[in-house]
Amino acid sequence: MRSETSSFNFPFSHIYVEEEIRDHELTKSILSRFSKSVEIPIRHYKDVFNRPHQSFRLQKNSPSLILAKSKGSHIYKGAPVCQDFGFDHFYYTSSVMNCIFDCEYCYLRGMYGSGNVVVFVNLEDTFSELEELLKLHPVYLCISFDTDLIGLESLTGFVDRWVEFTRTHENLTIEIRTKSFRKDIYDKTPSCERVIFAYTISPQAIIDKFEKRTASLTERLVAASRAIEKGFTVRLCFDPVIYTKNWKDLYSSMFLEVIKYIDGHQLKDVSIGSFRISAEYIKKLRSDFPASEICQFPYENRGGYMQYPQELQNEMEKHVFTLLQSFISEDKIYMTDYREKA
Amino acid sequence: MLFIVCALHCEARPVIEALGLKRDSTSNAFEIYSSDRYCLIVSGMGVINASSAVTYLLTKNLFDNHTDMLINFGSCAGKEPGLYLINKITDSATGRDYYPDLLYDLSSYGLPITSERALVTSYKVVSGLEDPDKLYEMEAAAVFSAASRFVSPHRMVFLKFVSDQGVDDPKEITPEFLTACASTYTPALLEVFRALSLMVEPVTRFDEELFRKTCEELRASKTMTHQIRALFTYAEVSGQDLAALLSSLHEEGKLPARSKREGKVVLDEIRNQLL
Ligand code: SF4
Repeated sequence: MRSETSSFNFPFSHIYVEEEIRDHELTKSILSRFSKSVEIPIRHYKDVFNRPHQSFRLQKNSPSLILAKSKGSHIYKGAPVCQDFGFDHFYYTSSVMNCIFDCEYCYLRGMYGSGNVVVFVNLEDTFSELEELLKLHPVYLCISFDTDLIGLESLTGFVDRWVEFTRTHENLTIEIRTKSFRKDIYDKTPSCERVIFAYTISPQAIIDKFEKRTASLTERLVAASRAIEKGFTVRLCFDPVIYTKNWKDLYSSMFLEVIKYIDGHQLKDVSIGSFRISAEYIKKLRSDFPASEICQFPYENRGGYMQYPQELQNEMEKHVFTLLQSFISEDKIYMTDYREKA
Repeated sequence: MLFIVCALHCEARPVIEALGLKRDSTSNAFEIYSSDRYCLIVSGMGVINASSAVTYLLTKNLFDNHTDMLINFGSCAGKEPGLYLINKITDSATGRDYYPDLLYDLSSYGLPITSERALVTSYKVVSGLEDPDKLYEMEAAAVFSAASRFVSPHRMVFLKFVSDQGVDDPKEITPEFLTACASTYTPALLEVFRALSLMVEPVTRFDEELFRKTCEELRASKTMTHQIRALFTYAEVSGQDLAALLSSLHEEGKLPARSKREGKVVLDEIRNQLL
């Protein structure tokens, strides 16, 4: 068989551009960086993104970029499986669909029919909608929801614009979830404590095996510590905790790495949650990724979510919890209680 | 298998000859030429013929989205002669656009991304180029539309060679002329076909016979059969030797199970050993 990777086009070799936003400043700036790519005009991003029978798996080897205009509402109420960290008005927004990283367990693989990356260039419309919402009540907003926004920062500059927007809107708190190594953001952007950088922390062996193209454990910890140093708020997410034969050893040694770089008292909080995924999504994942250990794991369906067998799940979460007890006070440890909400 | 759709026999002839394809005498609705690796159908001109031919081809042969490719090749009108890879197809009557997924790098086979063009499927022979940057022909939109029910967009490839810049009288384009044009591009086409036939995706398969035997020995219900299949797949992808585990259960006398209840207990044991 021919080696698949050697025969793929380079990432973003094809850029599909909605005609309506061809003259948008961000569109022009993004296109100017890809002189070797082919630009293909389209009417609506769904004409490309929603084609039937696409191969998410193969497209991840050569993702296309789709530049589009987000229409209608841009801000959505948080789903029950998401940790709300005690905030009443928990929302998320997606200015990007899909991710440049390639985590084997990513729910986007089950949610989207396409592995291509869509960037909605009209972030200003999300800001306008959010300003209306902020007149009603404070808002906690996840902005890196169906993507890793920091991973795409050099392309979009969205994180910078979000930090600036949050700084000038006092009843807004944003969370930016990431597995990126970038720390230059903290050097050049004035800090704001209502901007929470949430780092997913996994053992290096899990990163190597299941979180392809993401930063190493050390790089994530170094970036998180730089964020703290520069006055940003940081959360560490031990979520998803992933099962492998030697999971206990892996998570124990990971913890030793964490304490080398991070002082737990300087964190806003931590979250713990073992891997779970909607039963609907796993069907697609299993057929698209026949050779994936994570996708083919014999999960139990509890409340519509595929989860590790109860006993194993408890053991894994308890182990991570116990490790963290000496690191951060218990009231700052959030367990993902999706079982009741599901 | 590479399924090839070509409108006219005169365009297809050089490829049929070069690949040594044999006429399929069982097909009387369309001319089909095949070998063990290729299956070429001559659709006839225009969208209705193209659509019927693709449907015929794909119902007669089960298309496998992991191993097969659907290729539409033929002549078109365009500004400059050359062989082009199509990245967008517009149906001129409906205005609908179709996008083949161009994942594979074919630059070492003479088709770099600079050889990509947008194509318009017209319902009549074009007399000029409305947009000189585009190519014009009469079948691709129908091929894509009919195939998209079965075929992944990255498994559809549209290859067009420019024969003219649009003509006032279709008779100006003679079959001999098209055969000569097609001959020019046949060596390049064969290279691309060869590359595409190698784009095979892996599928995980476990020992079905052992699976069936295990289900029987565990006296599996429908739900248990489902769980056993999941465990077989997991063992395969996580590199665990399930056959050895099953044979040790045999030696211990736990398999075959004597009742459904016993089967459930042994299944739990298998699960615990694997996880
Ligand atoms: S970083 Fe997050 S969004 Fe990106 S692939 Fe991994 S899990 Fe998915």
